[in-house]
Amino acid sequence: MRHIPEDELHAYLDQGLSRSQCVEIESHLAACASCQACRDGIAALRDRTTALLARLAPPRSFPTPFETLRRRADLEVSARRRRAHLVAWAASIVAAVAFGWTASHLTSQGDPARVASGVPAATPAAVSRQAVIKDSRTPTTTPAILRPTGTDSPPARSPKRPARVTLRSASTAETSATLVPTVSAAPELELTSIDIAPTAHEFELDGMWRTMSWAGAQAEAGDKLPHIDGLPIVQVQVQAGEQGRQPLLVVAQQLSSGEVIRTIEGPAQDVSHLLARRTMSDPVPTVSSVDSGRPSPVSPERIDGSMAMQRGDRMIAITGALPPDSLLAMIRRLNAEMRSK
Amino acid sequence: MTDELEQLYQTTYTAVVRFLYRKVWDAERAEDLAQEVFVRALTHQPEKPRAWVFAVAANLARDEARAAVRRKRHLTLLKADPVAQPTVAPAADTLVEHDERVASVQEALSMLTARDREILLLWDAGLSYPEIAAQTGLAVGAVGTTLARARRRLVEAHDRQNPSKGTHAAHS
Repeated sequence: MRHIPEDELHAYLDQGLSRSQCVEIESHLAACASCQACRDGIAALRDRTTALLARLAPPRSFPTPFETLRRRADLEVSARRRRAHLVAWAASIVAAVAFGWTASHLTSQGDPARVASGVPAATPAAVSRQAVIKDSRTPTTTPAILRPTGTDSPPARSPKRPARVTLRSASTAETSATLVPTVSAAPELELTSIDIAPTAHEFELDGMWRTMSWAGAQAEAGDKLPHIDGLPIVQVQVQAGEQGRQPLLVVAQQLSSGEVIRTIEGPAQDVSHLLARRTMSDPVPTVSSVDSGRPSPVSPERIDGSMAMQRGDRMIAITGALPPDSLLAMIRRLNAEMRSK
Repeated sequence: MTDELEQLYQTTYTAVVRFLYRKVWDAERAEDLAQEVFVRALTHQPEKPRAWVFAVAANLARDEARAAVRRKRHLTLLKADPVAQPTVAPAADTLVEHDERVASVQEALSMLTARDREILLLWDAGLSYPEIAAQTGLAVGAVGTTLARARRRLVEAHDRQNPSKGTHAAHS
């Protein structure tokens, strides 16, 4: 007669066998004293193991109410969603900044190079700018290409790059020619670094503009005016859109440093056009304090000066150096607004 | 599903804490991890929550052990166990004896192979053979074999460590 293997007796006592296997084992046990003794020994071993392991129990505690865990889970789910959104934004910012820097690098090589090689600065710069502006009027174009460069660059920028200039002076013409297709090939960018010329913190607003109070602008444009939370509003300017078009809004706000940040919102084409202008006068007198005895707010290495975001035909641009936390807050709010629209 | 999880929490929380405690040897940490397990269950809503909970607990404990190695923190049962710092301190010899009894089982458990130890702890946590098999990748039929070996080795290792103690206990 075949005796029951030890591991089967363990499984039998642990209720790890099927009903039919149990019946088979029980009928054997009823007739086999040897297997009964073996079963008793295994039962004792089981009990001994359980008793030993019972010593390794933590002190008794009272579980946290399940409702607390449920709330924690809800918070984690919403935090995860926010993180995912921020990661997407951060990725687009990184891509955009890198892209903007590259574009800035390419285009800004032109001016001093031309000077070094004796080519008149105006001609290639004009070509570059025309190409850029033409492209910027296409709604799908990212605003990184809206940089007015060439002769628009201030003299202060030139001395910082003499080595690069000399080395790359031969490729100046190619740079201008290849810039537009390179830039246009990045439609996935949402928030893009743009490089406004240093004097562009002074805006000339051509056309019919109305200067309004914050409350008046809110009454007219709704409560979703482009702005950065926590900064005092200096001025709100509105240009009524053509029939059926959204108005173009420029909200000027002052940083604690005295520098004025502008948030521009409106149809992409209009915002692009506005950004592309350079000889603009600033209607806000307090800006003059920025220039007093301080270095230019926009240096060649500074690529965080201006950002723009485009969704469909709507574009929001921020000109000036924005503190990172303000930018983050702005991004969060814009995202919330975009979602709600 | 959430109700099912709540019921599981009520019936299994203590077993999960015990399972984790036997891996991290820190009662508070075991409770933190157990809560983390159930929070994750709430966010993931697994199909087989009971098995899932222990699988995640095992993973968390493994991560915890790796982190502990990285931090070079060697948590010991005696130092971490809050029983060692009761409000009213028991007599010193009672405490020492208790600690020694616990430490001897801990030592015996550590002498098992990782696979044997895992299956023994899962069984002691209340998992069925099919659940243990699903979690460890063993065939269901092999669970009994492994458990038989693990039990035998645990008891043998314990008795081997404490022959005089066992004799003394038997006589006393």
